[in-house]
Amino acid sequence: MAGKSGRSINNVPESSVKRMIFSWEGILVLIFIAVNIFCALFSEFYNLSSLLRQMPVYLAEVFLMLTMAYILVLGEIDISVGSIVCLSATMCCIVCNTNAPFIVVVLTALIVGTICGAINGFILSKFQELPPMIVTLATQIIFRGIAEIVLGSGGSISVTNTDGFRMIGGKVGEVPYILFLVLILAVIFAVILGKSTFGRRVYAIGTNRLTAYYSGIHVQKIRMIIYTVMGTISGLCALFLVSSSYGANTTTGNGFEMDAIAMAVFGGISSTGGKGNLAGGVISAFIIVCLRVGLGQRNVHAQVILLIIGVLLVAAVALPNIIGQVKRAVQVKNK
Amino acid sequence: MSEYVLELKGITKIFPGVKALNNVQFQLKPGEVHALMGENGAGKSTFIKVITGVHKAEEGEMFLNGQKVDFKGPKDAQAAGIAAVYQHPTSYPHLTVAENIFMGHEIVKNRMIQWKTMNAEANKLLQQLDADFDATAEMGTLSVAQQQMVEIAKAMSTNARIIILDEPTAALTKSESEKLYTLVDKLREEGVSIIFISHRFEDMYRLASRVTVFRDSQYIGTYDVDGITNADLIKAMVGREINDLFPKPDVKPGKEMLRVEHLSRTGYFKDVSFSVRAGEIIGLTGLVGAGRTETVEAVCGITRPDSGKVYLEGKEIHVKQPSDAMDLGIILLPEDRQKEGLIMSWGLGRNVTLPTISKYAKNGINNEKKERELSKELLEEVDTKAVDIFQPASSLSGGNQQKVVVAKALSQEMKVVIMDEPTKGVDVGAKAEIYAIMGDLAKKGYAIILISSEMPEILGMADRIVVMCNGRKTGELSREEATQERILELAMEKSTGKGAAK
Amino acid sequence: MKQKSLMKRITGSREALLAIVLIVLFVIVTAISPSFLTPKSLMDMLKNNAVMMVMALGMLCVMLVGGIDISIMSTLALSGMAIGMMLKYDVIANPVLAFVIAIAIGIACGFVVGLVISRADVPPIIATMGFMYIYRAMGYLISNGGEWASAAALGSFKDFATTNLLGINCVIWVIVVCYAFFFWFMKWTRTGRKIYAVGSNAEAAEVSGINVKNIKLLVYVIMGLLSGLGGALQVSVYASAMPDMQYGGEMDVIAACVIGGVSMNGGRGTVLGALLGSLILATIARALPLIPFFNQLWLNTIKGVIILAVVIINIVLQRAADRNALKGREM
Repeated sequence: MAGKSGRSINNVPESSVKRMIFSWEGILVLIFIAVNIFCALFSEFYNLSSLLRQMPVYLAEVFLMLTMAYILVLGEIDISVGSIVCLSATMCCIVCNTNAPFIVVVLTALIVGTICGAINGFILSKFQELPPMIVTLATQIIFRGIAEIVLGSGGSISVTNTDGFRMIGGKVGEVPYILFLVLILAVIFAVILGKSTFGRRVYAIGTNRLTAYYSGIHVQKIRMIIYTVMGTISGLCALFLVSSSYGANTTTGNGFEMDAIAMAVFGGISSTGGKGNLAGGVISAFIIVCLRVGLGQRNVHAQVILLIIGVLLVAAVALPNIIGQVKRAVQVKNK
Repeated sequence: MSEYVLELKGITKIFPGVKALNNVQFQLKPGEVHALMGENGAGKSTFIKVITGVHKAEEGEMFLNGQKVDFKGPKDAQAAGIAAVYQHPTSYPHLTVAENIFMGHEIVKNRMIQWKTMNAEANKLLQQLDADFDATAEMGTLSVAQQQMVEIAKAMSTNARIIILDEPTAALTKSESEKLYTLVDKLREEGVSIIFISHRFEDMYRLASRVTVFRDSQYIGTYDVDGITNADLIKAMVGREINDLFPKPDVKPGKEMLRVEHLSRTGYFKDVSFSVRAGEIIGLTGLVGAGRTETVEAVCGITRPDSGKVYLEGKEIHVKQPSDAMDLGIILLPEDRQKEGLIMSWGLGRNVTLPTISKYAKNGINNEKKERELSKELLEEVDTKAVDIFQPASSLSGGNQQKVVVAKALSQEMKVVIMDEPTKGVDVGAKAEIYAIMGDLAKKGYAIILISSEMPEILGMADRIVVMCNGRKTGELSREEATQERILELAMEKSTGKGAAK
Repeated sequence: MKQKSLMKRITGSREALLAIVLIVLFVIVTAISPSFLTPKSLMDMLKNNAVMMVMALGMLCVMLVGGIDISIMSTLALSGMAIGMMLKYDVIANPVLAFVIAIAIGIACGFVVGLVISRADVPPIIATMGFMYIYRAMGYLISNGGEWASAAALGSFKDFATTNLLGINCVIWVIVVCYAFFFWFMKWTRTGRKIYAVGSNAEAAEVSGINVKNIKLLVYVIMGLLSGLGGALQVSVYASAMPDMQYGGEMDVIAACVIGGVSMNGGRGTVLGALLGSLILATIARALPLIPFFNQLWLNTIKGVIILAVVIINIVLQRAADRNALKGREM
C-alpha cells in the first residue's frame, strides 16, 4: 500500500532555541532574576549566604510541588497533602520521642505518608467516577483529624532528642542538604515527566483519558502510583519540616497543598491537565522561595506573601486567557 | 405575501481560517418538508446555526415571509417562530420533561413559575405526540427517541412555524423512525414548514418534496425529490462518480485466528459467537445499539464479559485490560476517533507511537529519534495528507484522522484488526482510500473484523457477514447469499415494539 | 401499584433518606442526652451553625453550575473584620449599617471572583484558591496586622445575636428568611431555574438563549453576598472579630452540601438537601461530646469519614442501579 501519492511527511523538529527563549519558562527565568534584584534592593541582608541559610524552611514545600505537578498534568488535584504532612510529622515526632533509632523515625514519616497517599490512590482508582477534589477534601479532614486525635488536647508535640533532625538539617559548607535533595529530586522528577515512557503516559491520560485507556495505558495503575508517591513525598516534606521546627502541631502543613499548586500553576502547569513541564514548576518554586526569604528579612507579614502568591496564581492563569480572548476578538474584527 | 416562508441569499460565514459557508442560498415553501443534504463538513450544520441565530453570517440576507430579518441571537430566531431539534438532543438531563420543553419561555405569573400549568401544558403536547411518558419524568431517564420527542414538543410549544430537524433518525431504530415520520407528517398537515437534514436517502424519499444539496461549503442545487435519482443525488453531493469504491481483494482465507464463543455481558449482548480467519474480512453489522461495539470491546479488554470464551489461534485467551489484547495482537480501531482513537491536540507522530512507546524506550527513557522515524514511515505508508508529524491531529480531516488511527495500529504487531465504523464521518474520496488500506491488510494475512452500519460497505468489503440485533447474533451470511434485504431482515428481527427504551 | 410507587419515591428521593437519617440521629442523641431535644438546646445549635447553614445556600448555587468556592471564609473574615474595625474605631455605630457594609463587601468580593472565573476562564478551584489567600490577607491588613475587635469594641452590634423576636433568636430568623427566600428563588423563579439549566447542560443553555457567563457570575455574587452576611453573623454570634476566623470552615460548608446530595459535577442538588445536610452536620458536631469515648477531637475525623462514606455509597448505589437497569433489558 506504500504511499501511493509518494507524499513525504516532515519529521525534523524545529530548532528549539528560539522556542525556549520565548516560552513561559524563559519569562520565568527573567522574573526570577527580577525578583532577586528586587529582594537585594529591598533588604540589605539579602545575599547568597543569607538566602542559603534561610531557605530550608521554605524548600520543604518544593518537594510537594514536584509530585503535585504530576497530579495536575493528570488533570486532577490533591488537596490533602498539607494534612498528610501534618500526620507524618506528628507520627515521626512521637516515634522519635520513644528514643527509636533515627532511621526508624525517617521510615515512619515516609511510611505514614505513603499509606495516606495510597489511601487516596486506592479510593480514586476504585471509584473512578469520584472527582479527586471531593475525595481529597474528605481525606484532608480525616488525616488532620487523626493528627488532632493523636496530639490530644494540647495540640502539639516537641521532639526531645533533636540529634537526628539536626543531622538532616545540616549543610555542606554553606549549602544545606535539603537544597541538594530538592535539586536532585527535581532533576529526577523532571526527567521522568518529560523524557520517560511513564511521563508520556501521564500526559496522555491528562489530555484524553479515554484514548489513553484504549491505547493500552494502565490508567488506574498510573493514578495509584502518582497519588502514593505524592504521599511519600509529603512524608519527606514532613521530615524536613520537623528538622527546622523540632516539633509538630495541628496546624503543621496548613495550606501547603495550595502553595504547591500555586508554584506548579505559576510555573505553567495547567490545572486542566496535559500541559506544562517541571522546568517551569521548579523555576517558579524558586521565585517564590526567594521572594519569601527576601520579604521575610524585612519582617513583611507572612500574609502579605500569601497575598502575592494568590495574585500570582490567579494572574498566571487569567492573563494568558484574557490575552487570548483579546487576540481572537481582534482577529475576527480584522476579518 | 412572499412565495417562501424562509429565504436566504448569498450567505457567507467565516470561521478563523475557513470559509464554512460560501455564498449559499436556500428557499423554503410554506408547509413543505425540505431535505438538506451533503457530505459531512459540507456546511449543513453551520447553515442551520445561521438560521437559528447561533452564528451570525458575515455576508448575506435572510427573509422571513418576505421580510428581511437580522437575528442577534437564538432568542430572536425563537421569537420569529424558528425552532431547531439538534442531532444530539440538547437537553437538561437533571430537569423534568416539562422544564425542558419550556426552558427559555416558562409560563410565568407575577414572576413566579406556574408549575401546574406548565406540567399540564406539557402533558397536552406530549399527548399530541403519542408519548409514553409523563411531563414530570426526569429527562436523563428517557431514551434518545423519547428525548427527541421532547425536543419536538419544545419546538411545538414555541408555536414554531419553521422546524429544523438535524439528523433526527441517526440514533433511532426502525420503528422509532416510523413514529417520527408520522409525527413529521402531522406537523406538515398543521402547516408547519420543515427543514430536514439526513444522511439516509430513505428519510428523504419518505418525507421530503424538495431537496437542496450543499458541497464544500457551497450551494449545488435544489431538486424535486420525484425527479431525481439516487445516482444523480450522490453525484451532486460528491462531485464525481465513484467507480470501484470497494477494492475487495480475492484472498483465500487461511487458518482460524480469532474465535468467540457464547460471549455475554449483562445488558449489552448475549451469547455471541463468531470466528474470523487469516486474510478474511468479516462484517459485523446491525442497527445502532445492537451491541456490536460492546461485543468487540469485551474481546479487546475495554470492558469485561460476564461469560463466554475467546480463542486466539486455537488457544483460549483471558483478556483483562486493553494492553493484554494488544500484547496478543488483537488491535481495535475504536469507533469515536476523536474521543477514543486519537489525542487531538497532540502531534501525529506521538499519536502513532502512543501504544508502543515502551518498545523503543531504553531504561524507561523515550527514544524520540526512533519514534520520529517510525511514525513518519507509518504515516506515509497509509498516505496521510499531512505536512509534518508534529502538526496536531485536530488539523486533519476526518478521513486523514482515520488514517492516523490505522498507522497507530500498524505500529503494533497485529494478528486481528477490528475496525469499528472506520468510515463514519469520512468523505467519499477518503473512504475509498480506507477501503484500499483494508484490502491491503487482508492481503497481508491479517484477520479483519469490520463493524459498520453502512450497508454498501458491508456488502462490498466483507467475506462473511454477522448480523446482530438487540444484543444477540441473529444470523451469519456468506458474501454470496447476502443482500441488503436479507441483512435488514436479520438486523430488525425483534426490534419492533418498544425499541431500546431504557 | 400506587403504594409501591410511594415507597419507591421515598427510597428514591435523596431528601427523604436524609430526613430519615436526621430523625434517627435525633433519636439516638436524645436517648443519650435527653436535654438535647429542648427548644433552647436546638436553638443554640441553630445559632452556632448559622454561618455554615446560610453559606451552604450559596455553595449550593455555586456547585449547581459545576463550580466550587474555597475563598468563602476569607471573604467572611474580610467583611467581618471590616465591620469589626469600623465599629471599634467608631466609624459606624448602627448595627443595620454594619450588616449592609458587610454584605456589600461580600458582594464585591464575589463579583471579582465571578469575573475571573466566568470571563477569564480560570478554573474555579484555582481562582478561589488564589482569592482565599488574597481576601484573607486583606483581612489581616485592615486589622492592622492581627488586631482583634473584642466584645467591648462591638457595642450594640453584638446584641443582635442575643435579641429575640417573637421568642426566637434574631440569628435564627436570618436563617429562616434566607432558606425561605431560596426555596422560592430556586424553584419558582426563572433565574433560579437558569442556574439549574446551566449546571445541567451549559451548551444547551447557551443555545436556548441563557447568558451562561452571567449566570456563572451571578452564583459567585450570591456566594459572596452570603459570605458577607456570614461575616456579620459570625462577628455578632461570637461577639468578636479576628482576621483568622473560620479558617478552614469552607470545608464544612462544602461538606454540608455534599451530604445534602449536591453533585460536584453540577445540575443536581436542592435547597432542602442543603438544609438537611447542614442540619446533619450540626447535629453530629453537637452530639459528639455527649458520646463516651469520643470527644471534640474526633469531630473532624468523623466529619471526613462521613463525607467519604456519603460519596462512596452514592457511587455504589448508582452502580447497583445501573446494573439492575441492565439486567432488566430484555434481549
